[in-house]
Amino acid sequence: MATESTTDFTLDTAAALAAAEDEGAIEGKSPWYLAWRRLRRNYVALAFLLLFFVIVAACLCAPLYKDHIAHTGPNTGHLGETFTRDGKQVAVVSKGGFGQNGEFHAGGIPVGPQFWHAGGKYVLGADNQGRDVAVRLLYGGLNSLAVGIGSAIICTFFAMLFALLAGYYGGKTDWIISRFFDLIWAFPVLLLAIALGTALSINGFHHFGINIKSGSLWIPTLVISYVLIPYVGRPLRGQILSLREKEFIEAATSQGASSWRVMLSELLPNIASTVLVFFTLIIANNILTEAGLSFLGAGVQPPSASWGTMIADGQSRIATAPWLAIIPGIMIVLTVLSLNVFGDGLRDALDPRAKVRMEH
Amino acid sequence: MTRRSRLTRVVGVLALLTALAFLAGCGGGGNKSSSGSSGSGSNSNSGKTYPLLRVVWDAPDYMDPQLYYTVAAYQINNYVWSGLLGYKHEAGPAGAQLVPYLAESMPKISADGKDLKFTLRQNLKYSNGKPVKASDFKYSIERAFKMDSPGVGFFSAISGVSGNNGFATTKKGHISGIITNDANRTIEIKLDHPEGDILYILALEFAHVVPSGTPASDQSTHPIPSTGPYMLQSYQPNRGFTLVRNPNFNNQIPTEPSGNPDKVVGTIITDPVAAYQRVVSGKSDYDFQIVPNDRLPEAQSKYKDQLRIYTNANTYYYAINNKMPPFNNIQARKAAQMAVDPQAIISGVYGGLGRPTENFLPPGYPQYKKINAWHFDLAKAKQLVQQSGTAGQTVDVYGTNEDPSKSSIEYFAGQLAKICYKPKLHLLAHSVYFQTIGNQATKAQAMFTDWYQDYPHPLDWFDTLLNGDRITQVHNNNVGNVDVPSVNKEISDLKKITELTPAVNDRWAKVDSDLMAKYATTIPYMNRSQTDFFGPKVDMTCYTFSVVLYWDWGLSCMK
Repeated sequence: MATESTTDFTLDTAAALAAAEDEGAIEGKSPWYLAWRRLRRNYVALAFLLLFFVIVAACLCAPLYKDHIAHTGPNTGHLGETFTRDGKQVAVVSKGGFGQNGEFHAGGIPVGPQFWHAGGKYVLGADNQGRDVAVRLLYGGLNSLAVGIGSAIICTFFAMLFALLAGYYGGKTDWIISRFFDLIWAFPVLLLAIALGTALSINGFHHFGINIKSGSLWIPTLVISYVLIPYVGRPLRGQILSLREKEFIEAATSQGASSWRVMLSELLPNIASTVLVFFTLIIANNILTEAGLSFLGAGVQPPSASWGTMIADGQSRIATAPWLAIIPGIMIVLTVLSLNVFGDGLRDALDPRAKVRMEH
Repeated sequence: MTRRSRLTRVVGVLALLTALAFLAGCGGGGNKSSSGSSGSGSNSNSGKTYPLLRVVWDAPDYMDPQLYYTVAAYQINNYVWSGLLGYKHEAGPAGAQLVPYLAESMPKISADGKDLKFTLRQNLKYSNGKPVKASDFKYSIERAFKMDSPGVGFFSAISGVSGNNGFATTKKGHISGIITNDANRTIEIKLDHPEGDILYILALEFAHVVPSGTPASDQSTHPIPSTGPYMLQSYQPNRGFTLVRNPNFNNQIPTEPSGNPDKVVGTIITDPVAAYQRVVSGKSDYDFQIVPNDRLPEAQSKYKDQLRIYTNANTYYYAINNKMPPFNNIQARKAAQMAVDPQAIISGVYGGLGRPTENFLPPGYPQYKKINAWHFDLAKAKQLVQQSGTAGQTVDVYGTNEDPSKSSIEYFAGQLAKICYKPKLHLLAHSVYFQTIGNQATKAQAMFTDWYQDYPHPLDWFDTLLNGDRITQVHNNNVGNVDVPSVNKEISDLKKITELTPAVNDRWAKVDSDLMAKYATTIPYMNRSQTDFFGPKVDMTCYTFSVVLYWDWGLSCMK
């Protein structure tokens, strides 16, 4: 008599087997999760990211500092005035000139850092206009960061757009965009920025329906964005040229995806990590460029402060009031260092084999 | 601003002078003047000569007498080329006295003041041994026109220069108002109208005599034969120059010292810190640049004996546009005057190197009478602004982007903000600054500016800078559009007077007072002081500072 086999494969057993298989399956991890996992183990990068946020937060608090601690604005000069330190009146900028007997006394040396001895006034000293250096440092930081981050956003956006168009369409589009990159690249970046910044800072920009007044922060922001586009755009274009030949692009195209859909849904996500790293590094680069331009008078225009203009203002007093140049210099170093270290960490996290570098 | 500021500043003046002379002419009438006699001689420095003077110098604009216009070129070359007249080499105000140089005496001037007659000294020679001829003077003036020299506007009163057919326009033929006779060594200058400052104009570098036939192009690097005690041996732009003794001088100009150094080697360094450091390190004997504020305390304490501080004829002022709101309102102008604390600017911006002033004319002029009409008072200034009804108005403030003028205009913009205006700061490169604010289209409302004298005469101040009859659309030197009809008329009347008597001086002083105090047209705040810094080998007992020639290097001596 025949008996019923226990190994007969029925629909019920298939379901049971499938359920059992699901329970033991390895959980898939997204590339972003893996990157985050790598990044969070990089304590140095995170520490510098924290430092950057601290600097940004401090600069954002500039109006509070101005109103509640220093009680003076970033552009308010106090030449000829005094303040109270430990119950004594102290000149903000030392008096000089000729005495009654005609004897000359050198003057014009601004008061040094008071820390908290003057009730929050001149914590980091005064400049030769009698302006509070700490207030200007925070407002200057706001301007430097605004120009640095703003220009990085604009630069990265256009670089990405041009790279997508050139890399995806190729042919004439690629040729035109590549020559545009070459044209900008043909000039030394800082010289081009100085030339544009100087020209625009005199009369502003009033063409094509765009009106930007001289002295506007938009001028250094746009100038820096413009001159750095090829430095981001070229590597991205190369990456897209390579991705464009991959099977998944062919698959998308064969399924009828439009060009924009391929660019935005297929190509863009694949260069996102590179863009992110570039963005971080280029903020640091742009802050340095802004400082250089402002130092040379082609960036943020006086009386507005930026770390670059503060160094420029301080250089003529480097022997008698070195803090005027050193303090904003330290801020630039810390900000750029924090962004660069974090950027390197981010690059390592997103793609340890990547060779993204900001070089020019 | 540096001493160089005189260059770009006055180019505009001259364009203006020329244009006005062509278009309008400059008054008329007659006035008598006197003929002078030979000036005092001061050429003996026996026993103090020495082989070499090493100087750090600013970059001269040119080393060609018909072209140069900076103090850097003027100060070094006043011992090289000479005019018919020159200044006495004496310290202090005596140095402003004109004496005959190539001319054997002061000119004979006709009763109507329109005719001047000179006679050249006998046996004058250029450094190349060739004789100096009367016709060389005419050639030199014509050469200036042919080269579009920045100084040609000064000669606009000479007959045959102005007008459509004048030499300034045609540059052909000759200037009919200059008649020379080589045989008799006579030079006659005819003027279209009397010119109160004509003798000073003839002492300017643009009227210095060069040999006929000298090319009418910049000869800076091909030294032109000279008539003074020195000759230019070589000049390398932006690097340096060398002066050596003129072998044919032979005290041919007894009113001019023969000079103590046998040779002068100049190194051009435009960075004041580097220039100062070069003297400190003993590589040079003199620093032309102003000692930087940052090094001034050190210079004063460590090198006090080698440092001299002087205040020459200059005025630093804020020009406010008298024809545009808010400063077309006298209360607003007075408020702006009161908002400025001269001592604060002098201390903070110029390191103490300056003397506060409310006068437009600098001290030292016989016409100077100290004005004490207002004082720094922010509260009163705010009140005046409120009363004027101009509070809250935007003011376009212009300055240069180089310190210390940048800091000065930043200060003024800050003070305007404190008295309830909305200043908008425009900082321009020095090279385009004066052209920009001298253009009415710019609509500048408040400006940094300064003025260094071309020659010691009030006309160089009031007529050039504050005469409302001379306002132009472009190249306007009256940048504040100061236009007080009664004062304009007084300036025109005074212009015809060649002799500066005490009564005339009083009238000039009233012009100053009316413009600064009564009408509050301008905000003068400082006569800037400058430095002469010397190496330890220089014998400071020989230091001579003249109001016109600055440090008289020819009279220097070594320990």
